[in-house]
Amino acid sequence: MPVGPLLRAVATDALTDDETDAVVSLADVSKTYELGGTVTALDAVSLSLPDGSYTAVMGPSGSGKSTLLNLVGGLDTPTSGTVEVDGKRLGDLSEPERADVRGRTVGFVFQTFNLMPRLTAAENVALPLAFQGVDPAERIDRAKQLLDSVGLGDRYDHHPPELSGGQRQRVAIARALASEPAILLADEPTGNVDTDTGEQVMGLLQEVNDEGRTILLVTHERAIAEHADRIVHVRDGEITGIEEV
Amino acid sequence: MDGRETLRLATRAIRGHKLRSALTVLGVVIGIAAVVTFVTLGASVKADVVGQIDQSAANNIYLLSGPEGGDGPPQAAGPVYTERDLENIRDIEGVDTVVPRGGVRADAVSARNGTVALGANSGSVTATTPAAFDRATFLEGERFERGQSEVVVNEQASALFEENLSVGDGISLTLAGGETANLTVVGVVNRTGTESPFQSFSQQPQFYVPTDPYYDRVVELSDGTEQRAYPQVTVVANPAEVTATKERIEAYFPDSDAAQLQRPGFEPSARTTGDIADSLEELVDRLTRFVTGLALISLLVGAIGIANIMLVSVTERTREIGIMKAVGARNRDVLVLFLAESALLGVVGALIAMPVGVVGGWAAASYADVPLTFVPEWFAIAIVVGVLVGVLAGLYPAWRAASVDPIDALRHE
Repeated sequence: MPVGPLLRAVATDALTDDETDAVVSLADVSKTYELGGTVTALDAVSLSLPDGSYTAVMGPSGSGKSTLLNLVGGLDTPTSGTVEVDGKRLGDLSEPERADVRGRTVGFVFQTFNLMPRLTAAENVALPLAFQGVDPAERIDRAKQLLDSVGLGDRYDHHPPELSGGQRQRVAIARALASEPAILLADEPTGNVDTDTGEQVMGLLQEVNDEGRTILLVTHERAIAEHADRIVHVRDGEITGIEEV
Repeated sequence: MDGRETLRLATRAIRGHKLRSALTVLGVVIGIAAVVTFVTLGASVKADVVGQIDQSAANNIYLLSGPEGGDGPPQAAGPVYTERDLENIRDIEGVDTVVPRGGVRADAVSARNGTVALGANSGSVTATTPAAFDRATFLEGERFERGQSEVVVNEQASALFEENLSVGDGISLTLAGGETANLTVVGVVNRTGTESPFQSFSQQPQFYVPTDPYYDRVVELSDGTEQRAYPQVTVVANPAEVTATKERIEAYFPDSDAAQLQRPGFEPSARTTGDIADSLEELVDRLTRFVTGLALISLLVGAIGIANIMLVSVTERTREIGIMKAVGARNRDVLVLFLAESALLGVVGALIAMPVGVVGGWAAASYADVPLTFVPEWFAIAIVVGVLVGVLAGLYPAWRAASVDPIDALRHE
């Protein structure tokens, strides 16, 4: 979708206005990799996410949308620019502090679910709490509540290989919410499930957003992106436009 | 992450690959069991050797010849202790009795019911003085007297003949020169008490004859006089000052004929029963350290096995590491998790190795024909070694795991 210069200018103005209550803000963020030559994954991207917003980042594969998500989640560090999440500049944090951001401030949902194969559903959901030193009984209780809320009340002790794709993704969403994060980061959450199940997953994300959590969703599918309040289009490492839905 | 959770996750990872974990543990079991086996064997041999030392010999000082500088064991290296030396030593403070001893060359012993060839074992006819015998050691009869054609035998010598020798029996000794000495058995002993600190020494057949008239080794001194001389002397010291007496005897050595008569490179040597026990213990300790060192090599191989399997495990679980980091695991959490896993392999290995090592020690002790002696502190040491082996072997793999980049890890298939 080509975006004209006018729309782009409007988008930039909107960013400036939102900065005060932004829970995530990226300023001039670039990310380059050295792979035989210099590959630019993100090129001076600025973006802010207001608290409680639901944003989809859309673009073809290789556009840099996943890199953007990983930078916000503290899994990756920018080559230049600053990433601020929930008032913390990630670039200034030590490794354990960034781990803490991943564990408490954000929650990840991945295309491939990324559950621990040897842990039960409840243990998977409780895992982020284990790294925060939450008492075992307490975290399993919390995990069971979360599994109940995503409709898996009868699957506590199942291991991931015993669950369907949709069930696994629901476990993953429950896990992402375990430590009550302010922001949920979802990377192609419907990419490995059928359309109906995908709709269920998107319904769950909508509920999460309705509870007041900020969602940043990465997808290449228009239909999925339209669940969000606004769509940020990226291509070749640059934001090419922002569209309110 | 708390310790219990770490341990639980580590246990689960180990159980996830039962055969592989079992084989890795086996490597550690072999290593630690080998060490425990040899330590147990060493302790058993040492206890046996020390146990052999005759407590009634505690006051004895053995005068022999030894290499200069004290390197190497003393030996009866030729007749050097002269009658004059014996007189002088007898006058030293703290000396109770001086018992010289020398071998008489003899080819055969005949009694009324048979002849026994002594052959190469001609040392089994010993010339000594009546003081060599402790009355308590006599099973029958009494000591010989100086200048008499009398012989004292030990039980083993008595049993050489079809009908055991007993007091009153006559024997004839075929001396090396072809002469025959006819002797009367006057006593049967179970040991002499002054010959050696080892009870087992007296298990060899021994015939004891008086130095007078049967011992005639003479040496010529630098002043031209001839003296009878003995290769070995036992001094029985006052129990209160055995070590002090030994030191006084050593102080006399520079003036002694024995010092003058030594072969080049040798000097007179005085050693108490305690000294001999110490040097034997030192010898057994050295041997134990040597074989334990060999066993440590197998433990090293076991440790390499852990390191190897942990590296494989890190590669296999790269994605899991990425997941853990994505949900908030610090590098430290990942490091500790993998260290716990390798330490657990080490500990399980050590726990299995202890009974195996004790059985191994028992088998080795039986083979060496010594009674089994446990070294209980090795149970604790084995566990510590197990943990240490696991932790050391796991350090590099765990560090590799901790430094995995979460993005790459999540992309890892």
